[in-house]
Parts: sequence; structure tokens; C-alpha cells
Amino acid sequence: MKRVLLIGLMALPLTAQASTPEQRGFQVYRQVCATCHSLDHVTFADLSGIGLAVADIKAYAASHQVPDGVDDDGDPKTRPARLSDSIGSPYPSEAMARLANHGDTPPDFSRLAMTEEGGAGRIETILRSYEPKPAGVVLSAGSYYNTAFAQKHIGMPPPLHDGQVTYADGTKATLPQMAQDVGAFLDWVAHPHRSARSHTGLAVLGYLAGLTVLLALLKHRVWKRVKENRQ
Amino acid sequence: MSKPETSPTGWLEARLPIVSAFRREYVDFAMPRNLNYLWNFGAFATIALALLIVSGIFLALNYTPSVAEAFNSIETIDRHVSSGWLVRAIHMGGVSMLFAALYVHMARSLYYGSYKTPRELLWLTGLGLFILVMIAAFAGYILPWGQMSYWGATVVINAMNAVPVIGPALASWLLGGEGLGSVALHRFYVLHFVTAFSIIGVIVLHVAALHVVGSNNPTGVEPETSDDVVPFHPYYTTKDGLGLCLFLMVYAVLIFFAPDLLTLANNYAMANPLVTPGDITPEWYFAPFYGILRAVPFKLGGLLLSAGSVAVLFAVPWLDRSPVKSARFRPVLRWALLGLFIAFIALGVAGMHKPTGLWLGISRLSVAYYYAYFLLLLPFLPRFEKTRPVPASLRGENR
Amino acid sequence: MTQDADSPPSSPSCPLPERGARRRDVLSTVVVGAGCLGACALAYPFLDSLNGTANTSLGEDDSIDVDISSLRAGQQLVVTWRGWPVFIQKRTPEMLASLRASDLGQRLRDPDSKILQQPKDATNWHRSVVPEIGVLIGICTHLGCVPSYATPSTNDKSGKYSCPCHGSQFDVAGRVYKEAPAPYNLPVPPVTMMSATHVRIGQSKGDPGFSIASIQQI
Repeated sequence: MKRVLLIGLMALPLTAQASTPEQRGFQVYRQVCATCHSLDHVTFADLSGIGLAVADIKAYAASHQVPDGVDDDGDPKTRPARLSDSIGSPYPSEAMARLANHGDTPPDFSRLAMTEEGGAGRIETILRSYEPKPAGVVLSAGSYYNTAFAQKHIGMPPPLHDGQVTYADGTKATLPQMAQDVGAFLDWVAHPHRSARSHTGLAVLGYLAGLTVLLALLKHRVWKRVKENRQ
Repeated sequence: MSKPETSPTGWLEARLPIVSAFRREYVDFAMPRNLNYLWNFGAFATIALALLIVSGIFLALNYTPSVAEAFNSIETIDRHVSSGWLVRAIHMGGVSMLFAALYVHMARSLYYGSYKTPRELLWLTGLGLFILVMIAAFAGYILPWGQMSYWGATVVINAMNAVPVIGPALASWLLGGEGLGSVALHRFYVLHFVTAFSIIGVIVLHVAALHVVGSNNPTGVEPETSDDVVPFHPYYTTKDGLGLCLFLMVYAVLIFFAPDLLTLANNYAMANPLVTPGDITPEWYFAPFYGILRAVPFKLGGLLLSAGSVAVLFAVPWLDRSPVKSARFRPVLRWALLGLFIAFIALGVAGMHKPTGLWLGISRLSVAYYYAYFLLLLPFLPRFEKTRPVPASLRGENR
Repeated sequence: MTQDADSPPSSPSCPLPERGARRRDVLSTVVVGAGCLGACALAYPFLDSLNGTANTSLGEDDSIDVDISSLRAGQQLVVTWRGWPVFIQKRTPEMLASLRASDLGQRLRDPDSKILQQPKDATNWHRSVVPEIGVLIGICTHLGCVPSYATPSTNDKSGKYSCPCHGSQFDVAGRVYKEAPAPYNLPVPPVTMMSATHVRIGQSKGDPGFSIASIQQI
């Protein structure tokens, strides 16, 4: 009974104007992917990193219940999630996750765009590569035909279809569009500090380049004395 | 007492002459005037190590060495601790930069014969440092408790177990009598910074040994007159400083623009003792030794050759019988040494691939050449090699 | 910058001239300055990491709800809020009367709670939202020990706090007595009475802008 509020969550009105790919990807995540996939290491507060308003994040967090110790009878109790809680898993336990998914645990999304070879682009390709099973191909139960894999199947049922979500910014929610947006969101999830990283990097390189020029001048001047002194 | 005790420096000098010692060793210290930029790499390694130690201390403040929390605490550092991602990037990038600097530093020693009389102890303390750095890097890599941490540690501990007599005891001490779990993780954590700090101690020995015998130089001819030398400051402070800027630029590009270039993505998945990842490859700096391990088809043999590849370096000052130090004047050795560097790099590349077919052939050939260089070429080549004339002074060779 | 004539023993006499005569020129000053600047900038991420995860959170509601239905008159209940012990007392009529005793004021350092140690809706004679329920952060303003509560007895019906560390005394509303070392009254957290038996600590309906970080001393 922990997080069956997914249904309630989908009904939640979206107050934020989704406008960046990451924000649209998050919308797809919360309405589609989050039914099965966890974000164990990402907190609700982190979502401000893709420009969501704090009030919206608070509302999103409050729609989740998280364990909160035990009540006076010793029974486990829950409370609405806070901003510092991790978004976590839709399943109360790994066993439940397996039970609901033909014995496989849906992978956690926190670093998926990193651990999946090919990164976000690969995830997008997988989402777009579902095809009707050709005649003669036999798949075991819980396997779905997907041309992105050498063995041509995947354990995840086709998650996206055209018009599945309604983007607040009016972007048409086609399958390729949604796949791309999910990829952008997962890319950010796996590399949350990428923009700070490149800004800092440019500043550091600029500084070092300047210092290099100064030191090259100084070194040249110092060593001139030795070079002149040479026999 | 030449200095009056009235000045603070004079007072300090009378009791602890560190100012004059510093001046003697780092300001006025006589350096051969003809050192090239390859002589910068010792300074690079020192700076990389300093950054590793400082960033390591700050990482340790936010890290929890337990199976349940290690991976989470690293994720917290990377995602939520203020500037935590940068501190960790400095630490992770620093390892690669340190190893890169050390490999160039060692290659330079091999090329210019810096291990020869009277610098044998300099070479030996340097090798000691290299081994300590390898231990620290290995122990440190286990700490994030990702898939590669776990399975890398598993492989190495099983390899240790294969060592006769002492192996099982060592492995069991590391693990604390249990499987690879929280007890072992805690021990690797302590081992990581104990080795890190012992490295500082050995560096002191290494530098002390250097300052007794002085630096070698590209000609291998010892400086004799005052015309052969320049004071460390300002000549080599500016030269090291300039090189250091370029080194730090490479370092910055690595951590800011290619943070995933040298890391294994699998380590961003939490350790799972039930699932071994598809292909276990070590970090690039261990790849040559892993390549040797994989080139040999039986367990103990691979281990012995892999460990022997470092052990044989300790004998190098005595294996090399040539009176000529610098490979500049040894036309055959130059090519032989180039072959050694190629073999070592080939082993590294082979270590990253499955040991089958072509890669297996390349790695076996490389192992054979690696050992042949040290055990055959170094001792016996001088009998046949016609060396070029060595100049009378180190300035004679300046081109 | 003067150097002794005798050269250091280990170096075979430093050759090139200008030791001692070298000038501090613009270029080397700039290089040294820029290097120091870089070193300071490098220190920033390390020191910043000492802030932990505080800067990356968005400041959130950390209020707690406490059920006080089982609290009897004269008793106090201790709960934890933000890691601090918080005393919740249910005051008897005698305790309330003692707070209004005419001679009490001159024995207290800050009888009218002029120093900011409580939200506005607790800046009153009983230092609480409603007179019957008192809520205090149980940390002595002297050196941080937890004062112990003297339950009202037949001898002294007023109830009071005394700090075990250095003997500071507080009345039951947390106001410090003059002869004690503690300088300020005990802090009052932001409190909202949700119902007669339900207290929310961390939110103040009467003083919504109040921040516990703004008080004089905790």
C-alpha cells in the first residue's frame, strides 16, 4: 500500500509549463516510467535543477508516501515525502518489483544513462525500436520484440505510444518526441552537474592559459641569461 | 652564528635551520643546466599526489565505509554535497594524472639511465613509491562499492589466495575472516589512506636521495664545473611552473570535459555479489599488468609473471652493465627501449580486451619481449653494442 | 635578500651572477600573485564541501505534530525537533498564577521577553500561544546543557527549571533568574495549536515570518 498513489499522481494537474526537453522528459517519467522504474539517488529537491518550481516539486513530493518508523502499536507508518527524500521506487520491496515484472527488477534510473553503453541516445533508440513481432519468431512470456538488441527482445513491454501524455507547452507528444525527452531527462539525472562542470572548466582553463603565457614569458626571460652565456 | 638573533629568522635559524635548509635544497640547489621537459614529470607527480591527498581528506569527511552506505554516500557526494562533484572529480582524475606522470617519469629514467650509479637508491625508492601508489589506487577503487569495485577486489583477492604459503593468510587478514563485505571494505578504507600517507614519507626519502646525488641529465655526464649547473630557483622553478601549467590544463580537460573518458561506467552501478558484469577490465593504469596476467594460461604463472614484471625493475641498476648512462649514445638500446615502451602499451591495450586470438598473441609476444629486455638485452647488449662517443661535459652535447 | 658569501656545501658553487642583486620585477610579481590566486580558488571547492548537503536542499518544512492528549496538568513531555529537546508542559492554575506573581519580575533578567528568544505570538507573560500549554527548547543559554524540570510539588507549586551544569534557574515559562550565569531566556520554538490536544512545532500561525535561526541564542 506504499506507493499505489501512482494513479492519483497521473491525475495531478501540471502547473509548470514544461518547456525544456528535460522537463518534458520528467513529465513522461512521472506519468509513465515511474510506474515501474525507481530514482533511488535523486531527491525531490534535485528536480529544481531542471527548472521546476519549488511549489510544484513540493506538491509532487507530497503525493508520495515514505516509511516513517512505527506507530504506537509498532506497525509501520508512512508520511508524505519531503524535498530531501529520494524519489525512490514505486515498489515497496525488490521482491514486489520482481513479482510484477516476470522475475526481473526494472533498472534504477539514477545512473542509467551512464551505465547503459551508448548513454541517453541508446535509451532513446531502445524506446523507438519496438516493432510488431515478425511471423515465425517465438518469444518467451514477458519478452517483447525490439530491434535495438542483438537478440531482438527486451523484458519491458512497449512503454510509450503517441499522445500518451499531454505536454503543457503544446509540444506534440509523439513517440519519438517522448523517447527523446526521456533520454534528455535521464541524461541530466546521470550527470546533474554537467553545466556547472563545463562552466567551471572554462574558467579554470582560461586561468591556466593566462598563467601559462605569463610563465612562458618569465621562463624565457630567466633562461635567456643561460642561453647567452653558452660557449 | 653569522646571523644576529635579533631578527625572527635569526632566532629560528639558531634553533631549527629550516629556512637555510630550504634555501639550500630548493633555491640555490645546483641543477644540471641541460634538463629537458621530461624532467618535469616528478614535479607533476608530486602535485597530482598533493591534490589527491587533499581531495581525499575532504571526500573521507562525507564517505561511509559500510556495504549498506558506501555507494549511497558516494552518490550523495557526487549529487548533493556542495562542490562534492568537483572534489570527487579532482580525486578521480588525479589518480590517472598521477599514474601518467609516474609512467613518463619512469620511462625517462630508463631512457637516460637515471637508475645507474650513484642513483640506485633513487631508483629503488621510486619503485617503492610506485608499488605504494598501486596499493593505494587498488584499495581506493574498492571504496565506492560499485560493480567494478566489488569484482575487481574479488579477482585480486582470489589471485592473492593463489600465492603459496603467505597468500591465503594475507587474503584472510584483509577480509577479516569473512567474505568480501563491510569488514573488508573498512579495512580497504584504512589501507587506502595509510598507504597514501606512507607515500608522503617515501617521497621524502626519494627527494633526500635525489638531493644527495643530484639530478641526472640527458647526456648522463655528471656536472663538474659551475658552468654546468644553474640554481634551482629561478631556472627550474620557472621551467617546472610552465610545465605544471600545461599538466594542469590536461588535468582540467580530463575532469571538466571528459570525466567519463577513463572511468568504467559499470562502477556507477552498486556492487551486486550475485551478478558479475560482462567484462571485467581494470582501470587503464593497471591494464598492462592485467594483460600479463591474462596472457598466461595457468593461474600461478600469470600471477608470478605479473608480479615479476614489477620485481624485475628492482634489479635494473645491476642488470644494466653498460658504462654509458644515456640512451642518447646507445644506438641499439634506443630502439630496444622503444620496443619495450611499445610492448608495455600493447600489453595495456590487450589487457582491456578478451584474451583470445590476436590479442592473446600480441600480449604473449609483449610479455616475452618485456622480460627479454630486462633479462637479456640490458645485461648482454653492452658486449655487442657500439656506443657513440660520450662528450666530456654535459654542455658539449647541447644541441 | 642578502646572501652569505659562503655558498652551501652541497652545491658545487652556484654559477650565474645576480644572486642578491635580483630585482623583484613586475612580471614575476604578477606570476606569483596569479599563482596564489589560483591556489585560493582551488581551496574553494574543498572548503565548500564542508557545508555538506545543506546548500543543495531547498529549505523545507520540518515541523512535527505532537499529540498531547495523554499529558496531564503539571507534567512535561520531551520531544525532539531539529535534534533539539523540546519541552511541552501542561500548566496548572497554580503554575500560571506563579508566572503572574508580583515579585517575580524583579528577580528575572528579561521578565517581559524583550530579547528575541521567541516568536511574536509567544512574547507575552506566559511565553506561549495559549497560557495552559508551554513549549520551550530545552537548551540552557549558558553553555548548552539540558535544564531539568522540577515537577510542581506541595512545597513549590510553580514548577521551574534548573540547569545541572552551572546552576542556572528558569521559571516555568523559561525566563532566566538574575543570579544565574545563563544570559537569556530559554528559546521558544514556533508553535501552532492545531487543537486542544494537538501541537505543531516548527510552524507559527501567529508569527509566520519567524525563523528559529533569527533568535539571539540557542
